[in-house]
Amino acid sequence: MTTRIHGAICIDGVAESGIRDVVFDGETVCQVPANGCRFDAEYYLPNHIVVAGGIDLHTHIGGGKVNIARMLLPDLVRSQPFQSVLVESRPNWLNPLSSPVPGTWETGRRYLEMGYTACFEPAVLPANARQAHAEMADTPWLDTGGYLLLGNDRLLMEWIRDGVPQQQINDYVGWMVRAHQCCAVKVVNAGGIDAFKFNQRHLSIDDQHVHYGITPRKILQTLSLAVESLCLAHPLHVHCSNLGLAGNIAATMATIDAVEGRRLHLTHAQYHCYGIDGPHGYSSAAKQLADRVNTDTSLSIDVGQVQFGQTVTLSGDTMHQFANRSLARPRKAIFQDLECQAGCGVLPFRYRQDQYVHGLLWTIGIELFLRVEDPLRVFLTTDHPNGAPFTSYPHLIRLLMDYDFRMSVFSRLHPDVRKSSSLPLLKREYSIEEIIKMTRLGPARALGLRNRGSLENGRLADIVVYEQSSNPEEMFSRPRMVFRRGRLVYRDGIFLSDAAKSTIVASIDVDSQMDSHLKELWHHRYGYSTEMIEVQTDELRSKMRMVEWTHLDKR
Amino acid sequence: MICPFCSLLCDANNLNEIHCDRRTASIAKYELRKRLSMEMPQSQIDSESLLTAIEASMVSALVQRFGEKCHVAVSIARDGSGISASVDGQILLETEVGRLCAPMAKQEITKALEAKEIDSQRWLQSANESLRRAKRILVTGRVSSVATARSAVAFAARFNATLDFAEFGNVFKNVLAMQRVGMNSVSLAEARDRTDQFIVIGDDTILQTVPRMPIALSSGESRGQTVLLLGDFSMASHAAWRNAGFDVWSVKCDLKSVPSALAQWSKWSDDLQSDSPNSKSLVSPLFQRMANADYTTILWCAENLRIEQADLWVERILQWIASRNEKTRCAALPWSSFDGTFLQVCTWLTGFPGRVSFRNGEPKYDPLRYSYECWLKQTQGSSDPESVVVLVDETIAANSFLTPLARKLLGNNVVIEMTGSSAQFPTSIAGLETTADMFRADQTVLARVSPCSMQKGIAKPASYWLEGLAP
Repeated sequence: MTTRIHGAICIDGVAESGIRDVVFDGETVCQVPANGCRFDAEYYLPNHIVVAGGIDLHTHIGGGKVNIARMLLPDLVRSQPFQSVLVESRPNWLNPLSSPVPGTWETGRRYLEMGYTACFEPAVLPANARQAHAEMADTPWLDTGGYLLLGNDRLLMEWIRDGVPQQQINDYVGWMVRAHQCCAVKVVNAGGIDAFKFNQRHLSIDDQHVHYGITPRKILQTLSLAVESLCLAHPLHVHCSNLGLAGNIAATMATIDAVEGRRLHLTHAQYHCYGIDGPHGYSSAAKQLADRVNTDTSLSIDVGQVQFGQTVTLSGDTMHQFANRSLARPRKAIFQDLECQAGCGVLPFRYRQDQYVHGLLWTIGIELFLRVEDPLRVFLTTDHPNGAPFTSYPHLIRLLMDYDFRMSVFSRLHPDVRKSSSLPLLKREYSIEEIIKMTRLGPARALGLRNRGSLENGRLADIVVYEQSSNPEEMFSRPRMVFRRGRLVYRDGIFLSDAAKSTIVASIDVDSQMDSHLKELWHHRYGYSTEMIEVQTDELRSKMRMVEWTHLDKR
Repeated sequence: MICPFCSLLCDANNLNEIHCDRRTASIAKYELRKRLSMEMPQSQIDSESLLTAIEASMVSALVQRFGEKCHVAVSIARDGSGISASVDGQILLETEVGRLCAPMAKQEITKALEAKEIDSQRWLQSANESLRRAKRILVTGRVSSVATARSAVAFAARFNATLDFAEFGNVFKNVLAMQRVGMNSVSLAEARDRTDQFIVIGDDTILQTVPRMPIALSSGESRGQTVLLLGDFSMASHAAWRNAGFDVWSVKCDLKSVPSALAQWSKWSDDLQSDSPNSKSLVSPLFQRMANADYTTILWCAENLRIEQADLWVERILQWIASRNEKTRCAALPWSSFDGTFLQVCTWLTGFPGRVSFRNGEPKYDPLRYSYECWLKQTQGSSDPESVVVLVDETIAANSFLTPLARKLLGNNVVIEMTGSSAQFPTSIAGLETTADMFRADQTVLARVSPCSMQKGIAKPASYWLEGLAP
């Protein structure tokens, strides 16, 4: 089927923005044919923009801790639609999510309603990778992928302590990523989750793990080498040490140094750039981090912007989640020590704009967006649901594009925040091209998704049409049309059909000796065989599901 | 495989490698099904097996007809003199008690049996008609695979049904407590690797439910792991833990008093830490040892907690564990059973862990109102024949999935049965006869469990039947 969209402004961050035709044949964008060609479908859309499908590279949409959060908080669930109701007459974008951590169907639906077509779960615990994939399989309309959580697994830490050759670690990391069908590696508080299991309550970048005697710096060095050696498309995805602590910018900068110039992605960077100045000993260090990102092209960040309201924080960082237990609202929390691999902490949380620290977090996130110059290396996230539910993205886009609107929110913050913040001095307003780069092209490049993120020929026809509006929040809240692989699946609030979806996994050759070595070790460590937890590629395939592979293009 | 009796992950290749007391009755029922299906009339079935089947009253048998295998329903009566199955008057299968099961002569089974050929499309049609007429539908039973759990939720959404798979409310004791106060918990492999002191609360039935638990929790190293058995444990339980390498201590006490006992111990422990006068002489070596533990894991099996309002009991234990973590490390390992798989799947699909009603098209959660017992009570005594119960059981467990109360309350409700022994919709056992994704009972590891080659069956999974029903 050949489709033509014309009359609309095409924006993809690659070609110059302007009115031109977008044509797709079957699943991919193709060259505009010569005059006289007949199309199966044509849409004339003046006063609209056409962009590629959005990509969220850091959103917690599946796996153990997400489900635990759902289980913990039935009291926060409002009335919700279910999948039997496919066609909606009511404009759903006006409604909040039914819960900070909605069910899989609602997650897929609400992402599509904003024009997103691919999302990545950033913390897949090896032990429940199959669960994460199962949940993502049940999240309709979206292509998905996961980052494997390493850096607190005892096997790895023992090997680092014992000084095994780096090649053995590389083989192990490769085996783990392939066995659990992930596309990247994430480290959460390197060594810190495990240290907490030994009752160590603090572990900064150069502190020693109380049991293994190794430092987070050593773990980061080792893993970043492995990621580079395996040619994973996405750099090591790092949740730094000292999450949320005043003065943690020092550890964040040390983390960047630890990987010795190799590519690095710092996730939810907002939570990791705090100083110790200001009236409450808690201040913004966003400038320090942004300056470093601006000068070091091997770095990228996603922000993890905070928005005000009820949410739930969920993290593998049990150590720091536990430290924040008294802040839980409602007052209940779950902490888990998991399978010699990692852990998790789930805390319901309410961000209040009249609270000093909460207001400060809000300004730091916005500051980071505004201070990092290259929109291809700073990505729009709220670390859903930690900073806010993903449905707040359109609001966040407006904050970035509209200085006056930003200041109107800023004026309602705690007086000490207003007094100390440099935000009013940052007059930058993002252009629509920059927003598109930040939400499409940038994440696609960061993840090595060469067939996504732009409207170039040969790209997947995941295409979104927005009606132009002076209010970007309104515009990005409700696309007129969404095409998935060339097929119109959503139009004017109505879901027209289901869509084929892909699981994105890293292409890795695994050393067969490591396979047999781990089979033996696994049984000793976990009491069951590797066959039980290895996710086979065939499991990820079904009538409507495919598998796509990524790897680093060394060119 | 996941042991079909205790839902631990283990590497046994066939049922005979799993040694536990609970095995006997379950395997008897299972073996009978297999023999009726595959080997009749030559096989020998022992009396215990046949009685189990008789208790189940109906079994599905596979017979050869016109060169093709098909299912027939076989009724076994207590006074049957033999077993035969006929379709349209044609005898397809016949045997005598003496040949079928030599030791059965004492049982005085004298009467032949009747059987009907199953036409699954006809049964589906008939079930659909019942469901269409129904004003109230309950889906219940025992689900252990992700596929069937998904199908059950989708089925409930299609039919605006009530959904409660939490058998006996076992898991919900933990879930309700967790939803009120949160939880500090640990997974099995972590507990095995990290814990130096286990406190196991309950009685001997824990090892009947999870016979391999001591082996599963033992690190297998000479780390001096201690286990304190709190409750009513016999010497057999002590021996099982000791043989697995634990240093065993036991305190006999009423389960209801355990939270208070733990609180008291905390106080003594604090005294010990503060080195108050005489404190060391007051506390026993056991308490000193407990106070010095680096990582304590509290284990209980929800299935074996026979305490009124057990969720409140669990809540107090969880609060105690939370308080311990202020200074040291302590976590719960609440062991559930097969319910964990449904609980997880239902949560990610609906946002709720079960006990959900789709009455108005959207899932509503009420752990009391939407329990199956409450649903059955509401329909009991009603002359309205338009209440339908869909029973699904894809496990091998021998005990009935309905409590005596619920069995009584089934009353005049229309029952659509999807179990291993049902005639209309015979279902395979997940993980044993068909490949299944199943959660280990601590709900951490979702394993793909392939059937043992010896046990491969031909019955369809419950998910197949559930998906075949549509309004």
